[in-house]
Amino acid sequence: MPQQPAPQAAKPASQPKPLPAVPPEFDAAPILALDAPKLVQLVADPKSTVFQKAKACHRLAVIGGKDAVPAVAALLDHPELSNYARFALEPNPDPSASTALRNALPKLSGRRLAGAITSLGVRQDPKAVDLLIKYMDHADSDVAGAALASLGRIATPQAAKALHQALTSVRAELQPIAARAALICATPDLLKALAGPNVPKPVRLAALKQSS
Amino acid sequence: MPKFSSGLTRRGFANRTAALAALSASPTALAQSQPAPAAPVSPNDRIVMGAIGIGGRGTEDIRHFLSDPRVQIVANCDIREDRRESIKSLIDKAQGNHDCKMYSNAQDLLARPDIEAVLIATSDRWHTLMSVWAAEAGKDIFCEKPLSLTIAESYALAETVRRYGRVYQAGCQRRNVPNFELAVGLARSGKLGRLQTVYANTLAPLSRLGHNWWPAEPEPDPRVFDWDQWLGPCPWRPYNARYPNGGRGLFWDFHGGGILEWGSHTVDLCQWAADADHTQAIEYEPTPNGVNARYANGVKLVMRPDGWMNLGTCHVRFEGTNGWVETADSGRIELSENLRSEHRTVTMRGTDPSRHIQDFLNCIRSRTQPRSNAESSCNAHVTCHAAYIAWQLGRKCAWDPAKRAFVNDEQANRMRSRAYREPYRHDAICNSLG
Repeated sequence: MPQQPAPQAAKPASQPKPLPAVPPEFDAAPILALDAPKLVQLVADPKSTVFQKAKACHRLAVIGGKDAVPAVAALLDHPELSNYARFALEPNPDPSASTALRNALPKLSGRRLAGAITSLGVRQDPKAVDLLIKYMDHADSDVAGAALASLGRIATPQAAKALHQALTSVRAELQPIAARAALICATPDLLKALAGPNVPKPVRLAALKQSS
Repeated sequence: MPKFSSGLTRRGFANRTAALAALSASPTALAQSQPAPAAPVSPNDRIVMGAIGIGGRGTEDIRHFLSDPRVQIVANCDIREDRRESIKSLIDKAQGNHDCKMYSNAQDLLARPDIEAVLIATSDRWHTLMSVWAAEAGKDIFCEKPLSLTIAESYALAETVRRYGRVYQAGCQRRNVPNFELAVGLARSGKLGRLQTVYANTLAPLSRLGHNWWPAEPEPDPRVFDWDQWLGPCPWRPYNARYPNGGRGLFWDFHGGGILEWGSHTVDLCQWAADADHTQAIEYEPTPNGVNARYANGVKLVMRPDGWMNLGTCHVRFEGTNGWVETADSGRIELSENLRSEHRTVTMRGTDPSRHIQDFLNCIRSRTQPRSNAESSCNAHVTCHAAYIAWQLGRKCAWDPAKRAFVNDEQANRMRSRAYREPYRHDAICNSLG
């Protein structure tokens, strides 16, 4: 005879401690309640604060479409908002988000260039491969590393071929990154190439495991 | 089926859980399940470890690691100068030397070839990325929970651990705490009858995670406290001393929320009990204070913050057609009348990581996967994240574990990942989603 579970004496949830007061200029709730067109206006408005633009991008990551791309992409070279622009662009399903990231590359440098390259990899944008190959041996290691990693993620035949060359052609400090990118790309040729002596041991063993 | 599997096969898992079922069959099994005392260890057989981001919970972990004669900790890393020094002092004192080297950059610690395994006890925002870096460097990993901030991170972590063949143990130590083992064993052995509902206690309330900022304060000298590294892959915001001193858990940018904080333990145990370690729940329906979910095998999962039978924090309760069991961190166990003969007295608290750490160390040597391995932990975390996404959206969501995607819900799918702040990245993050 199945026994019924004992009735549960539900107790009310414990009451939260009040949050510390937040200054109105840093209150996200009114921004997060806006619809997409108003969020785009907020991002594009030169009078908007960094906080307002950041939170608008945060929300546009979920609800932004094609119309949001130009205003958001304009922030890719902003020292404090570049990561928020990428936050909004990476999950945007419209292809124009990839186009905007590609078009931004020549105007960016340093971390912000590395970030835009990473976002193209996250979006697995095959049209970016030619551009990324040019950055594989960039003097800035963050940029070069991002390009190698993104090629591994995009993993088209052309990207795989470029990574194969990069395993030996990029400067020594980048070779482990190229090896890890090749492991992600994981074509049979790349896995075979990862047996080479200059490949870091963990990657070499992983490639052996993956190809067996 | 998920696109990956770890070294722990389903058959292997079944064997392990059969051993668990034996816990409920033998009154002495619990005592016998305690790890045997470690034999003397030669210096060459030591497990050489590094410690990263050791705060309050990490200090408790590290004391247990240091008490095991197999372990030698040779390095610790923290972005806080005071913590680097205090943890070095703790390690050196325990080991009777001055050999623990201090690092402010984790990549420098991970580059040491003599380090075989790492303890990662940073806060949540760094868990996945640091674990991925460690796996790529060929280290075995014990990482505190929650293991991820997003669904994408959860899969990426599991895939990277599998790809590099590392031993990974999430800090979900209740899998190695006897009262929880007993409860899971009763569910999996069929003693509860057909399992109908599993209950996971989540930390109340879910609505507290904020998106606000606190006012900017002058940034400290990065040699003393490195704000940029503290933020790591999270979105930039101006420095305020309250974030790193207890305030971070209030913010969505840094924390997975009430479901993740306790759900990483309790949902994890529910999945284990419900024979769902290899998958995730497929339907999520928000309630005022939690989420009701359902697995493909028909078992209902109730995530709720309410207390039940006053057994301590992190309650789980499993109900079947023939009875029920409930337990929590006090170690006390409540059973339906017909199962009272199964009762055991357990004095170990749910927060005690000692057996969990020994499980990890044993697996480093045996090259098997421990109980909170990357795959099962990934799946439990995906369930938690999916539940929290449904709760944030305020609507019912359906999840397809094979596609790793919500069904016909673009907004929910766009919440599966978050862009890392430049220049941070890790290689598996986008390939982890279909």
